[in-house]
Amino acid sequence: MTRLRIAVLATTLTLSVASSPARAQFFNESGMVPQQSGNIEGFSVTGKGVVSAKPNRLEIDLDVSASSELSADAIVKYRDAKKRLQDAFTALKLKDVTVEERGMLVDQKGAEYSPYFFDYQPNRRNKVEVQITRKLVVSCSEIRKLDEEALLQLVAKLLDVAQDAGGKVGGQNQNSYYYYRYGYEMNNGLIRFILDDYEKLEEEAYAKAVEDAQSRAKRLAKLSGVKLGPVTAVREASSPRDRQTTQADEIPRKRLEASKFQEIPVKVDLVVRFNATPLPEKAGQP
Amino acid sequence: MSAVRLAIITLLLLPAHALGQTKQDDAAKISNDRPDRPLQLPPASSEVKEAFDDFERFQKRGAWERALKSLYTVPDDQALRFVDGQNGFIIPVARKRRDVLAGIPPEGQAAYRLFYDDEAKKLLEEADGPSEMKTLERVYSAYFNTTVGDNAADRLGDLYFEMGRFDRAADCWLALLRDHADTDLSPALVSVKAALALSNAGRRGEVVALRRDMADRYADEKVSIGGRKATVAEHLDRLLAKEGPTIGNAALSSPTTGSPKESGAVTSLALNGSAAWQLRFGESIVAGMSPPEKIQWDSNPLSGAVPSVTVDGETLYANLLGYEFALNLKNGKMIWRSGSFHNLDLAAAQPQARMVDPSKFAIFTSKGKVWSLGKDLKDPNQMASFRLTCRRADRGDLIWQSSDLSEYAAVELVGTPILSGETIFVVAKTPMNQQQQTPPHQYVLAIRANDGKLIWKTEIGMFRQGQRYFYYGMADNSPLPRLYHQAGSVYVDTHEGVLARLDAVSGELDWGYGYQTDPVESSGRFFFYGMPNNTSNTRSTVPIRSGDALFIKGAKSEKLYALDPDRMKVIWERPIAKSARVIGADDKTVYLGGPELSALDMQTRKLMWATRVPGGSAESQVLLLPGGIWQLTSRGIFEIDPKTGAVRRIFRGDDTGSDGGDLYLAGKFVLAVTNRTISAYPIAPPAVVRPGEIGDGPAVTKTRASDD
Repeated sequence: MTRLRIAVLATTLTLSVASSPARAQFFNESGMVPQQSGNIEGFSVTGKGVVSAKPNRLEIDLDVSASSELSADAIVKYRDAKKRLQDAFTALKLKDVTVEERGMLVDQKGAEYSPYFFDYQPNRRNKVEVQITRKLVVSCSEIRKLDEEALLQLVAKLLDVAQDAGGKVGGQNQNSYYYYRYGYEMNNGLIRFILDDYEKLEEEAYAKAVEDAQSRAKRLAKLSGVKLGPVTAVREASSPRDRQTTQADEIPRKRLEASKFQEIPVKVDLVVRFNATPLPEKAGQP
Repeated sequence: MSAVRLAIITLLLLPAHALGQTKQDDAAKISNDRPDRPLQLPPASSEVKEAFDDFERFQKRGAWERALKSLYTVPDDQALRFVDGQNGFIIPVARKRRDVLAGIPPEGQAAYRLFYDDEAKKLLEEADGPSEMKTLERVYSAYFNTTVGDNAADRLGDLYFEMGRFDRAADCWLALLRDHADTDLSPALVSVKAALALSNAGRRGEVVALRRDMADRYADEKVSIGGRKATVAEHLDRLLAKEGPTIGNAALSSPTTGSPKESGAVTSLALNGSAAWQLRFGESIVAGMSPPEKIQWDSNPLSGAVPSVTVDGETLYANLLGYEFALNLKNGKMIWRSGSFHNLDLAAAQPQARMVDPSKFAIFTSKGKVWSLGKDLKDPNQMASFRLTCRRADRGDLIWQSSDLSEYAAVELVGTPILSGETIFVVAKTPMNQQQQTPPHQYVLAIRANDGKLIWKTEIGMFRQGQRYFYYGMADNSPLPRLYHQAGSVYVDTHEGVLARLDAVSGELDWGYGYQTDPVESSGRFFFYGMPNNTSNTRSTVPIRSGDALFIKGAKSEKLYALDPDRMKVIWERPIAKSARVIGADDKTVYLGGPELSALDMQTRKLMWATRVPGGSAESQVLLLPGGIWQLTSRGIFEIDPKTGAVRRIFRGDDTGSDGGDLYLAGKFVLAVTNRTISAYPIAPPAVVRPGEIGDGPAVTKTRASDD
């Protein structure tokens, strides 16, 4: 080994060892404190705040889809199917029920990728069937005030009306292959419960999380025999995040969803760092 | 210089457009000889086609002797083979020859008579005794344009008429009127004879056309026919005034079963209240099943099988996956059955039973006998053919079955048989051949209903491709062929791109019509258990006749056709979704099933409305009446306005838990047949029910909380 190589190796080792105290000063990616070195500047604690509320709204997804060899036929089928669904819900005369339209998709029937034909498709010499698809979302607000029986009645009525009007309820168009292949969980629910108005609840959850962090830090300080100082850093470990959305997604970002009619929790986890100072020495102690 | 180059390049490229056009036309043309067509009618030899080509060539040169001689080089055994005709029709060589001869110009006609009159006269003189008909047919087919061709046609028409083959008789006389202008026979008399035959064949539209044609020429000429002397106009008016046989099956009561007199009068249904009786065979099947067995059964396609039913008088007969039974229509009590339903659980334990297509089971009845098409699910040979069984209607005793008769050993019966008089017509094909040494052939069989004796067997064609792969549990998914009988003719829609017409008496194949269909598949070799099926689950359409039009829609076709089968013309054709099927027609509208119910205006050919009912309308037997459309779904019986497609009313009924099914009219009942129950709902007076309501009947506890 040449001298030069020995020098390079020694420098590298020195630099890497020298940087570890500096790295210990910071939270790692997960927000946790590095275990091996500890936080010599104070306490880092996790404060948790949970506030729950019942969903205020429910949604039912309906697919309106029509296809035909002639585009004009597909339009008639699509228009009639959509009108019948909208008329059926209008005829219910329920003031809290609305039917929202999502974006319209025009594609060809049966054109999706088939996992069963690996490098070539089955015979496609046939003509294209035009397919028009639109998702309708039946939304019913003010459900929080309903008792379970009334809600059941309402849900049954909406589902019956949707199906009687020829609507496809649920996620029949989901490609089970993808869910299996990529380990996704298929959503077989018919109803989606939504919590829209959770700003106030979020505030409460944050307050509770800070309060929880303080009480934890106090306990640690007491047990450690140090004096708890002011907060020096706060990091959100977990909070009601905006939904991951795609370009085609039209659902609002700010809302919480649940498949069950139950209290939906608004959870906030905060990592709070407190300064700590040694307790002043008492007189008479060595 | 560059302008010259540009001009040269332009001139060189211009023909490319023309070439492109030609190729496209060729691709669209349907021919019996195209190798990508799934079914080929028995083709004529290449020598026959060359003979017609030679005729064309020599005719253009005016070499009439050689031109005509080439037509008569066609051997007799090729006369009933098939070549392409006009408008997509595929016709026998003999017919093509007659058409060609009828179209030759006067100079050719003179030459033709010079060369062939003597031969024709000699043949006509020999037409006597047992060979009379055969000889007359030969003269009519090969020498129609000679001076004696008209006499042969007239005599042949008389013979056909006496035999009740009215279609054939009418065709002879009409050919005489249209293509033999110099006939010595009385055109007035021939017109009346043709009109009489047309009237008996149910071809009323053509009688009207004949009346119009005759009005200016022979209307006042007196003729004597059937001992009645009157003018031509009077004869034709009398025929038109007479109520002839029903034309077609498209009258909006096509699913009617039972007494036509009673149910034919029903124009609208008012369903109210609970079922008068209900047979819950589904409960019998699952009785005693352990939970795993029940899960297995529910996931088996056989659990969704809707029994085929038929009604005769006061008795309902059903065929549930080969288990036949009879019920008293008044009270629903079982009269007899061929086996107990719970034995069907055996099928659930044998996954290979998935190979069985439940829609292949059929039943029909007449005059104290009941016939069924089915197979024994317990048979360990799942490739075994379906068998036709005849039983006594009163006790269910077996009279005969096709599996005991040697005539049916080499064929597999497919599709729903039809009964006309004493004859059963059924489609058959050669059995599946795993070695694929010869492609399967398709036949129509005429069977004597009483004893199962084979009357005739006619080959419709040869499949260009059979089932390509055989694997445990892999079913034959080819669509079922459908039959329709009308006035001496049997139509078979193969659903493989060919509609064929046969003579019901002789079984002779008149013509085929090649319609657009999927080409033979060259699918991939990747298949495995539970592989999704790409084929549509829409029930194959029975040809539907309405007036002059016969509506056909192949199961694998993207076109709907209205044909005039008597004049061999395409009235119109229209693109339509492959998943669509024809469920009925009236004089203005064609009603379609498929993913949704829809209505097509015949005049404009525009889709007027489309209504999606739960589960779609791909398979169910729908009730079409002038007052409405009724369909049994998993969510009750939907009543739909035939003009707008609006759902007028939903009658929940007592069939909850089923997958939906078929509706039939039977006397005072509407029969709802599902995969779990058979229910008889009394038809209430229309005033009892209100439009727009959802009714579930007072005797039934509420099944839908939301129906309030």
